[in-house]
Amino acid sequence: MAADSTALGADIEPLTGSYEASQRSARLRAAGRWLWSAGLLVILGFLVVYPVSMLLLGALTNTNPVVDGFATFNLSLENFVTVLANPNVHLALINSLIACGGGTALAVVIGLGFSWIVVRTNTPCKGFIAAVSLVPLFVPPLVAAVAWSILASPKSGLLNTLLAGLGIDWRFDVYSMPGMIVIFGVYYAPYVYMFTASALRNMDPALEEAAEISGATALSTLLTVTFPLIAPAIISGMLLSFIVMLGIYGIPAVLGTPGDIPVLTTYIFKLTAWSPPLYSTAAAVAVILMTVTGFLVWLQHRVVSARSYITVAGKAFRPAVMNLGRWRYFTLGLAIVYLVIVVVLPTLALIVAAFRKFLFIRTMASLFDARQYSLIHFERLFDNPLALRSIVNTIEVGLITAVIGGILSFAIGYTIHRTRLSGRKSIDVISTLPVAIPGLVIGVAYLWAWIGLPGGLYGTIWILALAFVARFMPDTIKALSTSLLQIHRELEEAAWICGTRMLGTIRMIVLPLARPGVIAAMTLLFVLAIRELGSSLFLYTSETMVMAVLLLDYYEGGNVGITAAFSLVQTILLGVLIGFAHVLSRGGTDTGVGKAG
Amino acid sequence: MSAELKVEHLRKVFSVGRPAIDDVSFRATAGEIVVLLGPSGCGKTTTLRCVAGLETPTSGEIAIGREAVSVPARGVLVPPRLRNIGMVFQSYAVWPHMTVRQNVTYPLRQRRVPRAEAGRKVDEVLALVGLSEYAERPVVSLSGGQMQRVALARSLVYQPQLLLLDEPLSNLDAKLRLRLRDDLRRIIKQTGVTALYVTHDQSEAVVLGDRIGVMRDGKLLQIAPPNEIYNRPADMFVANFTGASNALPGRLLARNGEFGTVETGGGNRLTAWLPPGVAAGSEVNVALRPENIRLGVQAAAEPNHFTARVTGQRYQGTQTIYELATLGGRLEALELGTNVRYPVGSDVEILLPPELCWAYSAQEAAPME
Ligand SMILES: Nc1ncnc2c1ncn2[C@@H]1O[C@H](COP(=O)(O)OP(=O)(O)O)[C@@H](O)[C@H]1O
Ligand SMILES: [Mg+2]
Repeated sequence: MAADSTALGADIEPLTGSYEASQRSARLRAAGRWLWSAGLLVILGFLVVYPVSMLLLGALTNTNPVVDGFATFNLSLENFVTVLANPNVHLALINSLIACGGGTALAVVIGLGFSWIVVRTNTPCKGFIAAVSLVPLFVPPLVAAVAWSILASPKSGLLNTLLAGLGIDWRFDVYSMPGMIVIFGVYYAPYVYMFTASALRNMDPALEEAAEISGATALSTLLTVTFPLIAPAIISGMLLSFIVMLGIYGIPAVLGTPGDIPVLTTYIFKLTAWSPPLYSTAAAVAVILMTVTGFLVWLQHRVVSARSYITVAGKAFRPAVMNLGRWRYFTLGLAIVYLVIVVVLPTLALIVAAFRKFLFIRTMASLFDARQYSLIHFERLFDNPLALRSIVNTIEVGLITAVIGGILSFAIGYTIHRTRLSGRKSIDVISTLPVAIPGLVIGVAYLWAWIGLPGGLYGTIWILALAFVARFMPDTIKALSTSLLQIHRELEEAAWICGTRMLGTIRMIVLPLARPGVIAAMTLLFVLAIRELGSSLFLYTSETMVMAVLLLDYYEGGNVGITAAFSLVQTILLGVLIGFAHVLSRGGTDTGVGKAG
Repeated sequence: MSAELKVEHLRKVFSVGRPAIDDVSFRATAGEIVVLLGPSGCGKTTTLRCVAGLETPTSGEIAIGREAVSVPARGVLVPPRLRNIGMVFQSYAVWPHMTVRQNVTYPLRQRRVPRAEAGRKVDEVLALVGLSEYAERPVVSLSGGQMQRVALARSLVYQPQLLLLDEPLSNLDAKLRLRLRDDLRRIIKQTGVTALYVTHDQSEAVVLGDRIGVMRDGKLLQIAPPNEIYNRPADMFVANFTGASNALPGRLLARNGEFGTVETGGGNRLTAWLPPGVAAGSEVNVALRPENIRLGVQAAAEPNHFTARVTGQRYQGTQTIYELATLGGRLEALELGTNVRYPVGSDVEILLPPELCWAYSAQEAAPME
């Protein structure tokens, strides 16, 4: 280690002092660098490697060594094999695949459709449509699901009341597999949109024109040139939306439970809610979920890093815009319908349910009867001390996550991208690992890792915050890396050469330049932490209750009014935060908000 | 096989700004190479795309061979794929997900040419552009020049009646550009196809074109064979854009047929060629190429013989540019050769051949660039 100590900075030591003195300080600095890498690795080990290893171990035993002591520790594949043979697991797995597969297919249709409309047609108000296509990223999935259950539950859904009022016999049923697929597809279309819109935008229109001139019809051009060229983007978006749907808990919990459609995530939670809790079984199913996710992440990585055809750096194309004639009002109409489905209807439903004394609506006239409305649900919500505590807790967790996560991610991002410290490869790999771990699985892993340690983390706010830090680390590092990479290396090197030491360089040059990015990343973390449900489920206690969990509790308790009221509170809080984040980052980190679903 | 191209009163107005093309008319006879030359933004690409059918003209008429392909007044707009034309794009536009052979075969596949015949044609055209050994390579593994050859092969393989080229060399580095420029003319002439070639580079235009059309702000200013463009530019802009960088202000005293006498600063009189329409008494600018100024000529009897003071020089190895103060203005003169003959500060005899001094009305917009 000391031998290659000249790699960083040793050569810029001022030439004062004796040879030995400079030798010694070089050795000291080498030790400092070694400590830095080792320190980061220890932190990552604590945040990621330890919980995940415990989860893997847990899946292979039916005791927890930390809880039960190592004496009874009995490593065997038996547990895992039993789980694999369990028909309930098969059912959950198959349901997951159908729901996410169907949802992905719909997301591709919607996402690809909108990217074509926005990039390649002369539809009016394209800026508005582009914004609308991304809106679902900002809607918390749990809130969306709650709102849609108010709208389209088979018995009392508002839309069904409306249909009955109109004398139509047909009913919506969102508590069904098709219902879940539609909600998935509609809310996760932005993932496909983001990839395909930018691919279409970056494609040289001459590629298609050359096909047309060569004698190809429009359809033939589409099939032989356009689709093959944007296929990597479509596949990436598909895989990403599939991955996020697979790991999501809120939507299947709200929509799948009444209709008894278990998916992997809800099944895992059910196992831990059993009495006694079947933690090892849950761990084994979580490992299955993690494996599937990991495989898909790997696949997506392959697709993205395979040579992309569409890479003419820094070249702006004027996309060939198709004149739709009168049909352009139809495409605008599609965007408006989409906006109504993802935002307008759910918001209206929440407002009606939150302010109405009784949700049962007999006639249309009663919908507009002011006497039916009151603040009673809000009063009852805040009569419950738990509600206020959950809000305080959530904000506290959010702040801790943002600060710790922001600082740690900056340290890691800088180490990976801007230094040649040994160990940075491992730091890179370990810090990206959580990409492949759904939130719920992180929750199970943290539970498993800390539950038995006396005086430990379990039961505190901190275990939630640390789980969130681990879970969102890859997204945060990625968001920060972009801003780190924008700082010219020469600028830093100029500072080094001027004799500023490494830490000085970071403090004086890098931090001020990266500050907007760091602040934006912290805000992003705050927002993500506030809406996170999956990992909280396993880690909260009544003392550390957070909003998302309490919201689900209210929903499952069947009190629609309070659920809706609480949803509105959470939505407004998030709206304010996202607006704040937008002002801070000027929209630069939009894409991260949805990543964690 | 190759067909005549006829463009009549073509106009194209985009939703914003001035017209991109404003009343452009020209013809390219069968087998001829016509080059459209002009600065960036003058409407060359738009003209070419109108001919290709990729852009709908606002008004005017385009005919390829006997067929009218774009006549907006009659609602005629033949789609590009039915025009039987080839097109080479500035950005190559070769399909990166295919091999060289797949790229070149594509148009034949669309035309349902039998496999064996298609194979033969592809081999022929690849040999023509010099890419026979590369047939099975993925195009992305080729260099820029090779990709452009693929694009050329792809647009020639189905023997189109008209070939359109939009600055095909501008993305290549200088050395390659020269090589491919000469190859291009040879290949196009070998196939005998009518070609419309667009460029902003005058040296490319001269080498490639049978005729050159100079454009500015959507208008076609002059269309003529290269030596006419270079020796009888229609206006100040054409003269300037093709390299006549000297301009001397003066006043036309008298007109005598094609020539006239111009009084320049310091009361000197200069004989210059006059385009039609310049009347005696009007203010003029005399344009003159640096290469056409003859230095050190002892022939006082000749017209346009003056003395000039050398105020500066730029030595460029194989040629020297002298800055001269004369005729109440400044001239740049270029002399070939590795020798610097006139030191700064010395006086030199200059001869400005009257048929290479062109006096344009000063009312014209000032030369650009
Ligand atoms: N699709 C378009 N929409 C609006 N303006 C355009 C479009 N294409 C070209 N123009 C405008 O038309 C003019 C001529 O452009 P172009 O034909 O590309 O010039 P050139 O090829 O000579 O550089 C320019 O002012 C350009 O901005
Ligand atoms: Mg152009």
